[in-house]
Amino acid sequence: MKHCLIVDDSRVVRTVAGRIIQDLAFETSEAGDGAQALKQCREKMPDAILLDWNMPVMNGLDFIRALRREEGGKDPIVVFCTNENDAEHISEAIRSGANEYIMKPFDAEIIQSKFAEVGLV
Amino acid sequence: MQDTTFNEIADLALRQTGQAFAPSKSYLMEARLEAIKRRESFATLDDLAHCLKARPNPRFEAEIAAALTGKLTGFFGDRDLINRLTTHALPDRLKASTTGRLRVWCAGVSTGQEAWSLAIALREITGGALRGAEIEIVGTDISTDALQRATSGTYGHYDVQKGLSIHRLMANFTRHDNGDWQLKDDLRDAVKFRRHNLTQPAGDLGHFDIILCRNVLNSMIKPMRTVAVEHMARQLLPGGFMYTGANESLIGIVDGLTPNPDMRDAFSYKAPKTKTVAA
Repeated sequence: MKHCLIVDDSRVVRTVAGRIIQDLAFETSEAGDGAQALKQCREKMPDAILLDWNMPVMNGLDFIRALRREEGGKDPIVVFCTNENDAEHISEAIRSGANEYIMKPFDAEIIQSKFAEVGLV
Repeated sequence: MQDTTFNEIADLALRQTGQAFAPSKSYLMEARLEAIKRRESFATLDDLAHCLKARPNPRFEAEIAAALTGKLTGFFGDRDLINRLTTHALPDRLKASTTGRLRVWCAGVSTGQEAWSLAIALREITGGALRGAEIEIVGTDISTDALQRATSGTYGHYDVQKGLSIHRLMANFTRHDNGDWQLKDDLRDAVKFRRHNLTQPAGDLGHFDIILCRNVLNSMIKPMRTVAVEHMARQLLPGGFMYTGANESLIGIVDGLTPNPDMRDAFSYKAPKTKTVAA
């Protein structure tokens, strides 16, 4: 079973996204900010990461830049999932190594569609 | 909604578009007519039906029938089909063409996503087997509301996140301040939209190399479906291909329309010879 790390400072978002992603046959784990997520990735690199942008301690952009420099850090498929919905933010996320981008609010169909775009389902 | 109202509106849909409504789908009828009901300030659908009976208005009837044909659509709804069109069917038609001009008809295109998906896919192909081709895409639907949205090329937050990768979204759309996304100007000329009722002859649309009619025919009763398929088949150029949705078979519907052995899921049309009676 593939593993998806859900990184968001909102417990509600982590729970809702987690249920949707579990229905896509993933096992999930959670982190409340980029620093926690990076620590978890160093222990075990996930197959996919659903990543919020604005979080305390380390935001999503700093996280993905740090992740991509880690050993094996280029492997996970990273899907941003954020309220930052303008073209500049999206372009910056892609330049920083994001594979896909979900604009909040999302539903199950959007997550499934975006995961399909990057070959996760 | 009273049973008589349901029956009258269901009968209108059947007459105009061949769409059958079962009584169990009365909620769908109410949902699809809600916008018209509110716009025209009717308190209930019973009032609307009463008005239609008291003051027959063909234009209003046509609008109601069109509103009832709600169709689920989305970007790259069948990406395998779009891929086969761009890599096999259209190159095949280009080889047979003396002018390089190819025409594609997206019939029952609703709010336009399928036609735009094809336009986007064609734009991504530079050269190759379609080098020199000039491809015209025509999208038709019975609903003027749906066509207005299709023509505007403007879609909401949820629409653009289903079927479009972020790369395709960024390459082909511009975001408005209200959160909607609109196709970029340089793509907007790629599709022409026109109003057309599939149960009517389609001669004024001209002839086509490819006809796509996906997820439309199944909602029609069989006699109307036959009429619609006949009208479309007559607009297919010799050697052209017609495609329907995954669960919509064309087998045995119209004489002369048969599966093409060389093009997966495609049907070709050869008009049956008219029988002549010896004197």
